[in-house]
Amino acid sequence: MPRLNPSAHNHAHLLLSLVLLVNAASLFEPLQLWILLLVLCAVIIRLSLFLNWQKHQLSVRTLNLLAVLSAIVLAYFGWQLGLLLGMLNLLVMASSLKLMLLASRRDYFQLISVQFFLIGTGLVFNQSIAFSMLYGLLTLLLLLSLAFHISPSSAWLQQSHRVGMLCLQALPIALLLFLVMPKLGPMWQMPTAKGTETGLSERVTPGDVAQLARSADLAFRATFDSIVPNTSQRYWRALTLEDFDGKSWQVHPYRQKLRERYRSAGLAFRPAIEGPSFDYQVIAEPTQQRWLFGLDIAISSDPQVWLSHDYQLVSRINLQSSLAYKVKSYFMAPLQEGIPELDNRLNLQVPAEGNPRTRELALQLRAEHVGDKAYLQAVKEVFTAGGFRYTLRPNPMPVDPVDQFLFEDKAGFCAHYASAAAYMLRLGGIPARMVTGYLGGEMRGDRYMSVYQYDAHAWVEWLSDQGWQRFDPTVLVSPLRLDYGLERAVAYEESFLLDTPLAGFRNIAWLNEFRLMLADMDYLWSRWVLGFSRENQQDMLKSLLGKLTPTRLALFGLALVLAIALLLGLYQLKHWLPDRSNPSAWYYKKALKLLAKQGLQRPSWQGPQDFNQEVAQRFPGKAARCFGQLTYHYMRMNYRPMSEQEQKASLSQLRRLVPQLKQALSEGGG
Amino acid sequence: MAKANLLQRKMHAWLERRIPGSREFTLNRNNIFIFPSRFGLLYLILCLALFILGTNYQNNLILILGYFLLSLFLVSLLASYLNFAGIRLQLGKVSHSFAGDVANLPIWILGPDNDRNRFGRLHFSWYGQQVRQSVELSNMTNPVGLELDSPERGILRPPRVTLCSYYPLGLFRCWTHLSFDCEVIVYPAPLPCNLPLISETAKGETEGPLSVEDGHDNFDSLTEYRPGQPLYHVAWKQVAKGQGMISKKFSSQARQSAWLKLLPQGSDRLEHQLSELCFMILELDSAGMTYGLELGGMRHQPDKGNEHLHRCLTALALYRMGS
Repeated sequence: MPRLNPSAHNHAHLLLSLVLLVNAASLFEPLQLWILLLVLCAVIIRLSLFLNWQKHQLSVRTLNLLAVLSAIVLAYFGWQLGLLLGMLNLLVMASSLKLMLLASRRDYFQLISVQFFLIGTGLVFNQSIAFSMLYGLLTLLLLLSLAFHISPSSAWLQQSHRVGMLCLQALPIALLLFLVMPKLGPMWQMPTAKGTETGLSERVTPGDVAQLARSADLAFRATFDSIVPNTSQRYWRALTLEDFDGKSWQVHPYRQKLRERYRSAGLAFRPAIEGPSFDYQVIAEPTQQRWLFGLDIAISSDPQVWLSHDYQLVSRINLQSSLAYKVKSYFMAPLQEGIPELDNRLNLQVPAEGNPRTRELALQLRAEHVGDKAYLQAVKEVFTAGGFRYTLRPNPMPVDPVDQFLFEDKAGFCAHYASAAAYMLRLGGIPARMVTGYLGGEMRGDRYMSVYQYDAHAWVEWLSDQGWQRFDPTVLVSPLRLDYGLERAVAYEESFLLDTPLAGFRNIAWLNEFRLMLADMDYLWSRWVLGFSRENQQDMLKSLLGKLTPTRLALFGLALVLAIALLLGLYQLKHWLPDRSNPSAWYYKKALKLLAKQGLQRPSWQGPQDFNQEVAQRFPGKAARCFGQLTYHYMRMNYRPMSEQEQKASLSQLRRLVPQLKQALSEGGG
Repeated sequence: MAKANLLQRKMHAWLERRIPGSREFTLNRNNIFIFPSRFGLLYLILCLALFILGTNYQNNLILILGYFLLSLFLVSLLASYLNFAGIRLQLGKVSHSFAGDVANLPIWILGPDNDRNRFGRLHFSWYGQQVRQSVELSNMTNPVGLELDSPERGILRPPRVTLCSYYPLGLFRCWTHLSFDCEVIVYPAPLPCNLPLISETAKGETEGPLSVEDGHDNFDSLTEYRPGQPLYHVAWKQVAKGQGMISKKFSSQARQSAWLKLLPQGSDRLEHQLSELCFMILELDSAGMTYGLELGGMRHQPDKGNEHLHRCLTALALYRMGS
């Protein structure tokens, strides 16, 4: 049996379809292509129903078949997607099928709720200003759709005006709630999207970092409270890689296991700290990973952030969204061994085979230089005197990469230098590891520092008697890298951001200014909206309330509820105040009320003149005279064109007559 | 079962006290109920889900979205109430109906005193039943005819009318149960039968002489025109000759008047007979005949016209219903 068309010229359904379409399009990356096509089909079907090209809905049986097929396909592909993406795909698929089916009120309301939830999910993936505005718009469209569903025959303009008013009223309350409602920590671990990793990775093969350095994406931003580190101090540590197999460096599996164990036991690493510190807030862009960024010994009081024994900052949750955290970096304090025995043992391991020429060189150098310092100096000299070149376009090195780099190519990116140096130190019996992170950062005035992916860097830490020491072989070869950043360091080969379109425009002054202005806006957005953390909230409350005692908080909560109630009352104030848009009617009504108190009510069908006669009969004398005049002026003002002068005169008469009537009535009654 | 009945009775009694019957209502805080609709509850769950999502991903934007939707919920509570409150409803003139047919209750929806516009759909239903009719407040024609099933003859007192509105966003259901004071007289369902009484009248059940009455059928004579007579009776030819306003007088065929009688029979045949009598009365009336009705001890003298018709039918409707 064909089902009738509930969508013909139904604006509510049209808006709903539009929102689903845009929602799905905004999730282009995490969604599978065939699901996007399914959404498109559903929207086209709904659109043709709206325009009444198509008179009947698809039959339920067809749809059930389609649903089963889609479910099978999703189950097949979704297997590798992981929980988050799998659920997201499922949700969008289900909404598109529901949109094809949409008939009853219940379907409609379910679909609306799912759309609201999808907007929330979209915000997990995209949080830039532009996307937030898009999602805000989608929310408004959904509300408009609801308004059309409830009162279908109103005009667009009127409908938008009403929804807009409601939203404007809701907004202050929402902001109040957001600022004041306690921010909780994550209640349980949420699934994160696998796949597209951005930024550094936990396994580095020299050459990878060079790839990363081609990206102009933002890695994180830092806002310093007072002292700003100078350019040579901006070594942002992210990962310590301690396992070397001859080609690649990675986080040592044993270290990883140990870290998990310590973290689940809640044992944080508390290194000895002393001296001055940089105080700053980092707003990290989403990486889908856990590690964070900090300078030197970075101590964070944030409950979300945890310091591991290799001085690595780790977040408790994956960075699916951007994360803001406060850090104190003690840049003068030495990095003492985290777990002495272990650090030593892990960082002396070298692969048994491969890179024979490097081994030979190390053996030779070690024989010549007795002390660790002397050996280190000798290694440094290999780089300074060897005629090395710093390049963003290293050759691929598939076999014995360290040999090829040191003896043949003599050209590489930071990871090549760090890898070779750490390897040689280990061969010489000095514990050494590779550290990856970022070097540099673009200061915007004195406010904040932006660190981009092309600032990615790798360097070496070796274990001295005073703890871990930083050694950056890249700087020996290319001092420009340290002082002026990557752009200047590779200026000679013009390879900086070659793959990024529009990168050339960075040189045009006003365009660059424009870029920086956008970056400023983005920074403010990240800092105050995305980065509004529990600490910010507590600071704000403290500045409002002083000390946070339970009584004060309880009173504050009460005040909040009152404030919201007051706001709600304020919005509807005009409904409770008497209508004074027509002053003569207002005075006349007042007079009617006075008469009603005396037991004379005007029936709704009685005109003012008839009623006046009745009053004259009931209350002869002064009251009737008063009311007669009142009626006269009221009628004159409402039914006769008058000059402004006359209106004023009549109005003042009315104003005078009401108390007179009151007096006359009370005298009559007494 | 008994418990449910008790509960319903208590509910009725409470409603009776809270919203007593009347012919006119103004919706205000004494008679309005408001509660989140089913979608409203789903929406609250959605807000909670967004809160959890935002908290677990530590995502402020999702939290803001959640709080915004929650505040919208609060704002729409008042908007919903204020749109519903102040509406005035008045019961119009209630007509009769026949058993098995539907009675029509005209309800006038009047603007509130301060003439603010009202929006959204208003759903009408009988207490505890499905929605019968929906009108959109900003775009409607008065009165709203509410149909009421009338299965049996007698006096029908309509149950409470439930009115509800979901304005502005469907999050809240504002409703009220109004009891309109009125009685619908339900006539017996006419049951076709042949009209034996026309022949029977000859056997002594006829009464009175043949009389000449004004009618429309045959031209009788010319008389002076009296104001109030229909213009199509004016004899325009004579008027044109300057004889003054003269109207034609028509006469109906003089009719015998009939007596309709309820024969004393078993009570199981009573309804059947009443239905037949109802049919006969309607037939006689449409034939323009004069008829009288004798029901038990009650006699309605032979007469004709609309008023007589309804008097007779009412008598049929109420016959033996009081006891």
